[in-house]
Amino acid sequence: MESVRRLVTVLGTAALILGTLTVSVASTTVAASASSKFKACVVTDTGGINDKSFNESAWDGLKDAKKQDSNISVQYLSSTSSSDYAPNINSFISKGCGIIVTVGFLMDAATAAAANAHPSQKFAIVDDAPVVKTGTHVEALQYETDQGGFLGGILAAGMTKTGTVATYGGQNFSAVTLYMNGFVAGVRYYDKTWHKKVKVLGWTPGKGTCSLAACSGKGTFIGNFTDQTAGKTDTTTFFSENADIVFPVAGSVGLGSVVAAKGAGAGHYVMWVDSNGCLSDASDCKYFVGTVAKGVEPSVEAAVLSAAKGTFKAGSYIGTLANNGTQLEYGGVTIPTSLKSKIATVKAGIIAGTISVNPNSYPPTPK
Amino acid sequence: MSDAATSKAPPEEAPTENPPRPALYRSLWARYTSTSPIIVALYALTLGLVFGAIIIIVTTPAVLDAWREIFRHWDALPHALNVSFNNVGAAYRAIFTGSVIDPQGFWHSLTTGQNWPNTLTPLSETLTYATPLLIVSVGVGIAFQTGLFNIGANGQAVIGGVAGTVVGSMVRLPTFIHLPMALVGGILGGMLCAAVPGLLKAYTGAHEVIVTLMFNYVTYAFLLYAVLSTPFQQPGQQNDIGRTLYPSAILAPLFGTKSGLRVSYGVVVAGAVVLFAWWLLDRSSLGFDFRVTGANPSAARASGISAKSVIVIVFLISGGLAGLAGFVQVASTTHYIDGGFLIGNAGIGFTAITVALLGRNRPVGILWASLLFAALSVGGRNMQAATGIPLDLATVIQSAVVLFVATPILVKEIFHLRGTSQASTLKISTNVWGS
Repeated sequence: MESVRRLVTVLGTAALILGTLTVSVASTTVAASASSKFKACVVTDTGGINDKSFNESAWDGLKDAKKQDSNISVQYLSSTSSSDYAPNINSFISKGCGIIVTVGFLMDAATAAAANAHPSQKFAIVDDAPVVKTGTHVEALQYETDQGGFLGGILAAGMTKTGTVATYGGQNFSAVTLYMNGFVAGVRYYDKTWHKKVKVLGWTPGKGTCSLAACSGKGTFIGNFTDQTAGKTDTTTFFSENADIVFPVAGSVGLGSVVAAKGAGAGHYVMWVDSNGCLSDASDCKYFVGTVAKGVEPSVEAAVLSAAKGTFKAGSYIGTLANNGTQLEYGGVTIPTSLKSKIATVKAGIIAGTISVNPNSYPPTPK
Repeated sequence: MSDAATSKAPPEEAPTENPPRPALYRSLWARYTSTSPIIVALYALTLGLVFGAIIIIVTTPAVLDAWREIFRHWDALPHALNVSFNNVGAAYRAIFTGSVIDPQGFWHSLTTGQNWPNTLTPLSETLTYATPLLIVSVGVGIAFQTGLFNIGANGQAVIGGVAGTVVGSMVRLPTFIHLPMALVGGILGGMLCAAVPGLLKAYTGAHEVIVTLMFNYVTYAFLLYAVLSTPFQQPGQQNDIGRTLYPSAILAPLFGTKSGLRVSYGVVVAGAVVLFAWWLLDRSSLGFDFRVTGANPSAARASGISAKSVIVIVFLISGGLAGLAGFVQVASTTHYIDGGFLIGNAGIGFTAITVALLGRNRPVGILWASLLFAALSVGGRNMQAATGIPLDLATVIQSAVVLFVATPILVKEIFHLRGTSQASTLKISTNVWGS
C-alpha cells in the first residue's frame, strides 16, 4: 500500500513538471504555426454558434467563404454576456483578423467603439448599423424582412381554408416585428387585390411606417426565443380561434408551433422564419407552407470574400427581395400554380417599387 | 526523505482560524505535503489542469489523429506525444498570456518603455472580471459561514444592477454624490431582494435554498420587464436594452479612458468589501455571532444569540454585496443593462458559490479564488482566439478544481499529504435551524 502511495505521489509530481515543461516548450511551436492566411473572425452574441438563428448563420457564412477561398481561415468567439463584446472584439484585433463579423444590435456600441479606435480594421455587423466616425472599414448588413414577410402573407392568405391566419413574435423588437408587419401587409394586399376577407391574428400594426430602426404595433409575444411550450400553447390558441396557418417569428420557439400543428390534425400549417425550415427541420417539412428567409449567411459570406480579395465595400448593405437578402422559400405543402404566379407578380412589383409593404397603405382586415 | 522522518513532525492543527506559522526546522517536503488549505487548493489546481489536458487531448481532432497512428506503427508514439504536448501547451500558454502577462511583450515594454497598455491588457481584463465576482462571492461566503445558503445571489445582483443603473441613468448629479448614490442604490436593490427570503426564513422557517433559488426567476422576469418598459428602456430603442449611465455615475478606468485598459475604480470598491468582510467576521461581535451560529446553532441559541435577527442581518449583508456587485459589473464594463444581464454563463452569482467554496468562505481566500476563476475565464477567451479550443474548457478546469477542493481526501491520497482531515474539509453547516 505504501509503495502504491509513493508511486502516485511521484506520478503527481511528474505531471506537475511535465505540465510546466509543456507550457514552456510549446511557446515556440505556436508562433511557427501562424500562417499568412486571411483570417475571418466572428464574435457571436450570447446565443453561440449553434443557436439555429443568426449567430449560426453568420458562422455558416464564414465557413461558406472558406469553402470558396482556401486562403481564408475562420475563427469564432462566443460572448457569455454583453460585457464580453469589447474584449472579444479586441482579442480578435490583436490576433490580426482580416475582418471581424459581429452579430446583432446589442453589439452596436462595442463594434462602434472598436471601429473608431482601429480605423484600418475591417468590420461587418449583422442586423445593425453602428454610427462610426470615418466610414471606410465598417459594413452594416441589414435586411428588410418585411418584403419577404409580405410575400409570406400573400402565400398564407392564398393557402388558408378557414380565412384566418396568425403570427406571433419572440419579443417586441423591430428585428422581429418587421417580419410580422410585412406579413400583415401581405394579407391586407391579398384581400384588397383579390377581394377576399382573410383575417390576421397576433399583430396589429401601429400608425406610421415600419423601419429597421423602429416598428410599432401590438401583438402576441412569447417573451423569449427559447420557450417552445409557450409557442405550442399560443399556436393551439390561434388554431382554436379558427386560424390554420401560423407564422412564428421567434427562432426555436417555432418548433412548438410545429408540435401544435401536428396535434391539431390535417390542414394546420406553419410558416417558418429566417432559414429554410425544410432544411433546418427536415423531418417536419410537410407542415411548412414556406419560409420567410433572411439572407444572413450569403451576405456575410460575400462580405468576407470581398475583404479577402481586397474589394471590401464599407457602408450599408440592405438585404431586399432584389438581392436575395430576404426571400420567400416554399415548403413541403403543394402550392397552386396560380398562387405562385401571383406571388411572382407581387415580388416583381415590390422590387420595382410599385407595391408598398406598409400595411397602412391597405384597408385593415375585417374583424 | 523517508516517511519515518516526516511523520515525526507535529501534526498540523485545524488552520481555519489562525494557521500556525510553519516552523523553520520543518523541511520543505513536510511543508509541501501538509494539508494546509492553500496547499490542497494548489494541488487541486494542478489536478484540474491535468484533467483539462486530458480533455484537450481527447477532443482535439489533430491530437486524436496523431494517437490513431500508433495503432498502425509504434514509431508514431513520439510524434503523438509531441502533438499532445504542443496542443496542451499552446492552450495553457494562451490561458496564461491572455490572463496574466505575455513574457515577450512584457520584456519588450520593459526594455523599450513602449506598448505598456497592450502588455497590461490581460491583467486589466482579469481584474475587471474578478472585481464583481469577488464582491458577490464575499457576500455568499458570509452567508455560508453562518450556515445559510444564498443561492439567489445572482438574482440579487440583477436587481442591484437595475436599481443602481436606474439611479445612475435617470438622475443627474455631480460625480462626487452621483456615483456613491448609485452604489448605494445597487446595495439597497440587492438588500431588498434578499430581505424577502431572509424574513421568510426567520419568521416562517421557509427554506432559504428554495426561496432564494426561485427568486432568481422572478428577478429575470423583472429585468426583462424593466428593460422593455418606457421609463428605463433606452430612448429610441425597441430592443431589450436599458438606459446608459451618465458619465458621473460610472466607475472610471483606473488609468484613464485613453489607456484602453478597462480595469476601473471598482477594484477599490472590491478592496473595501474584502476589508469590511474581514473586519466583520474576525473583529466585530456581530461577526462572532455569525460564526457561532454557523458552527453550532444550538450553542448560539443557548448563549443568547437571536437566530432570527442573525438570519435577517446576514441576508441583508449578503444581498447588499450581491447588489453592489451587480452595479459594479454595469458601471465598470458596459454602462448599460440589457435583457441578457447576468443570465446563463454570465451568472456571476452562481459562479460565486463555487468561488466561495474554493476560498473557504474567508474574504482573503475568496480574493485568490476569484482571481483564479477570472484568470481562467479571461485566459480561456484568449485560448479560443489563439488555438480554437472552446472557451468551455476553462469552465471544465474551474469545475474540476472545485471538485478536487471539495473532495480533499482524494487530493491527499493522490499527493500523499499528511495531517488531520479536519483542516481541509469544507465546513458548511447544513442544519436546518431557526424555525
